Amino acid sequence: MLLVLLILSILMFLIYNLIPNNRAYTDARNDMNSMKSALKGKSEAEKEAFFQQRYEEYQRQYGTDTKNQVVRYLRWIGLYPNYYGRFSGLLQGNFGYSYELKDEVLNVIKEPMKNTIFINVFATILALGITIPLGIKLAVKKGTKLDQTVQVLTLLGYSLPAFVICIVFIWIFCSQLGWFPPSGMKTPGTNYTPWTWIWFKDRMKYMALPLITMTFCSLGGMTRYVRASMIDALSMDCIRTARAKGVKEKVVVYSHAWRNALIPIVTLVVGWFLGIFGGSLMFENIFGINGMGKLMIQSLRTADSDVIVLLQMFYVFVSLIGNLIIDLVYGLVDPRVRVSA
Amino acid sequence: MNKKKGFFATLGAWFKRAFFGGSNTMAQEIEHDPTQDYEEIVTPIKQIVRSFFERRIAVIAICVVIAMFLLTFIGPLFMPKYYDSYTEVTQKNVPPTMSMLSVPAKLKNDIKMIDSFGSFTVGLSNAGDVYVWGATQLGTTGLDMKDIPQEIRDAKIEYVAAGIDHAVAIDENGKVYCWGYGKLGQFGYFDPGENPNILVEPDELLNGTIDVANIKKVTCGYQCSAILMNDGSFYLWGNKNVYQNIENFTSLEKIQDIDFALNFVVGITDGNSIYTGKRGLYDQYRANIGEKAIPAKQFLDGRKIVALSTTSSNVCGELDDGTLFFTGDFASNSVPMPALHEGERFVSICSGTYHYTGLTTEGRVLSWGGNILNQCELPKDLSGASRIYAGAFQSYAVNDNGELVGKWGLKGYLFGTDTYGANIFHRIIQGGKMTMTIGAVAVIISTIIGIIIGCLSGYFGGKVDLLLMRLTEIVSAIPFLPFALILSAIMAQSDISENKKIFILMVILGVLTWPGLARMVRGQVLAARENEYVTAAKAMGVKEGVIAFKHILPNIISIILVSLTLDFAGCMLTESSLSYLGFGVTYPRPTWGNMLNGANNLTIIKNFWWQWVFTSIFLAITCICINIVGDTLRDVMDPKSDRDK
Repeated sequence: MLLVLLILSILMFLIYNLIPNNRAYTDARNDMNSMKSALKGKSEAEKEAFFQQRYEEYQRQYGTDTKNQVVRYLRWIGLYPNYYGRFSGLLQGNFGYSYELKDEVLNVIKEPMKNTIFINVFATILALGITIPLGIKLAVKKGTKLDQTVQVLTLLGYSLPAFVICIVFIWIFCSQLGWFPPSGMKTPGTNYTPWTWIWFKDRMKYMALPLITMTFCSLGGMTRYVRASMIDALSMDCIRTARAKGVKEKVVVYSHAWRNALIPIVTLVVGWFLGIFGGSLMFENIFGINGMGKLMIQSLRTADSDVIVLLQMFYVFVSLIGNLIIDLVYGLVDPRVRVSA
Repeated sequence: MNKKKGFFATLGAWFKRAFFGGSNTMAQEIEHDPTQDYEEIVTPIKQIVRSFFERRIAVIAICVVIAMFLLTFIGPLFMPKYYDSYTEVTQKNVPPTMSMLSVPAKLKNDIKMIDSFGSFTVGLSNAGDVYVWGATQLGTTGLDMKDIPQEIRDAKIEYVAAGIDHAVAIDENGKVYCWGYGKLGQFGYFDPGENPNILVEPDELLNGTIDVANIKKVTCGYQCSAILMNDGSFYLWGNKNVYQNIENFTSLEKIQDIDFALNFVVGITDGNSIYTGKRGLYDQYRANIGEKAIPAKQFLDGRKIVALSTTSSNVCGELDDGTLFFTGDFASNSVPMPALHEGERFVSICSGTYHYTGLTTEGRVLSWGGNILNQCELPKDLSGASRIYAGAFQSYAVNDNGELVGKWGLKGYLFGTDTYGANIFHRIIQGGKMTMTIGAVAVIISTIIGIIIGCLSGYFGGKVDLLLMRLTEIVSAIPFLPFALILSAIMAQSDISENKKIFILMVILGVLTWPGLARMVRGQVLAARENEYVTAAKAMGVKEGVIAFKHILPNIISIILVSLTLDFAGCMLTESSLSYLGFGVTYPRPTWGNMLNGANNLTIIKNFWWQWVFTSIFLAITCICINIVGDTLRDVMDPKSDRDK
């Protein structure tokens, strides 16, 4: 786990360096521009010398005054002092500064993160609420007309790219039916105080379509998976025994089989929950939600490196946490793991 | 060399065994002996192929996938004129139609005149009725040129002309009618104070009449119109923004001829030059397209210009000695004017958006100029033409009785055009090629990496396994879409060639998708290496690497095949998503993803449905079919699934 974290952080650092951006240079240039009047009348050589001095100063401040990549990496992490003997890396909470939005990266990321987590969690709950009962039902009624129809539909659901589903849904719900606004977070011009009923209503009106679309997109794969693991579980010998004993069908399905089907489902649910974070990027961009995905695209367009790296770190972090959760939950749903551990 | 041959021989043997089975001859012998009551022996692979083809949906799916492949890889060979960055301003957002050449049946034998500038064509019969055909809906305005106002239907019309989104008609009494979209000054009254960019339609046209017998020419440009009288006076009105030099004409009193190019109004004032009101414009003449241009005065050498006709970027002028000359810019693939016979002269010339059509004294009809939409592909059996008319990309030949004897040029667009005016059908074919290539190469890269890592880690176990599985864990911990986005964004900012970028994109996709397959292969190898044949191979002293790749790998090839198929669809989708977001392959090179890029606002989704529906359908059908094939393969390869039936 630690090794993974380490290697990922090196990877992050590589990405950080790959983005064509020289902060010290930019800052020094900005200083030159802001001090234009003071520098007036000085010769080119003097100006150049001044620029070099500022540039060096900034490089020392940012820890980029050496060609040694290992030192730079350690400084970036915050394990090696910079020129002035201070530690100012990620571990000290220095995540950087957004040049486009002119603010600390942490402040920039706060609001989008809230929105992203909100829609993702909401969509997950919705999707699970639909897919698990549906999958179980299909597994029990395997081979019926209902099963076959839903199978075809879910195939559609997971073969279609998310953005095509988005376009179709926008066309149906916004253009043809006119139920929902096509994009945005709130009605323009309004400014309701948060956590009031009217604020909630307005927000839900705008969030409804993204949520519906996100849920729909995840239905296909999830339902198939739940169904498959339920079918596997239902064909186990213990189920036959339970039925032979005369246990009620409901108990067989929801207690005996479900418990056995849970393990692969948990893996999937967590994995998929992580995937949805990456996937919500698409939805946020299409529906104009002020989330992390949208911020990411924006920053990528403007090469706002600190924001990009922090966002990427967030995604990696979420995915690592997810892997940890999978391990923990295994123990919870599968007694054998607990015993052996 | 010998070693290589050995490799191919082994590969061939695998295939032979896979599809015909090692025990083929034995199975046949048993089959031929009716007295014996044996069950038919079928190899597992044969069984798989057989049960695969028993499933109708899977067979349909694989046919569709193959058809898509053929369409996208062979289709481009039939489109030699296609190029990626093609744009056409007058053909933007044209809905799917093939009716651009379909002259209405009523008009066919009674043609008086035909004109068009954009996507629709207006025709006039000798009886004075106006007909409209082609793509008649005007963009987002909700207007349809087919809705000809009742007063025009009632009147006996003498002249018609069509612009990009409006049309002009003049009846026998000299009353001028206009219809179509009129909000940008195309027609109607505007207060000049409030609308400085509009040249308002003259008052005598709005409220009075003009002398019909005296009209020389009625012509329409992008959003402007002009009527030229025999005495040289003229009326000119429309949207000033479109034609930079339109102001220069308002001060003129008399003019010999006038016409609209794409951005300039051109006219003849004194016959010694083409008047545009600007210096340096259209002052180098040439005798034919592709010949050297020489200064106007030298070229004319005392001759006078008597008439002109314009395409969007060049002008064809007629001299008083009957010869033609050309001026302006020509696309490099323009067809030059065909040579005339001895003593032959042009009787009339008409021009479309890029092409010219001319009728000669011998009754021959010739087309030259831009040929990208087949404007110059004359029908072979064309004879008896006495009048010719040109639409934007069409030409019509009419005989003395007003009967249509020939029509050629652009029929329409099967799937419509996009916001740049390019044919969506062509772009779908070209884009499919790109999308599929990227998907295929990416999946091959990921499969190779996955197999190597899976095999090594599964077979050798121990430290190798631990190391490789850590690596797999790391790669699979990287959130896919954001990471791919970052990499392609970084790539986009560096200055490498487009082809290299696409190749790197394939590598990125391949390098990020292998962990799933590697895990699967590892699991299979772990199970397979306990088998007896592996022990046997080991006992015979076969090298470890050879055992892993030559003995075990063929036995797990079915799993790999399934994952190959499903990952192919996955990679295609990822590429589309990246391109859709603008970070994969970028315009002008089409892929199915970036063709949908434009469909991110309600206006296009609602009004220009053809710009996303067809591409989505192609993308969806291909992915669905590939997934069906993969699913079915998995089902038929899984021995357990027989029980489910």
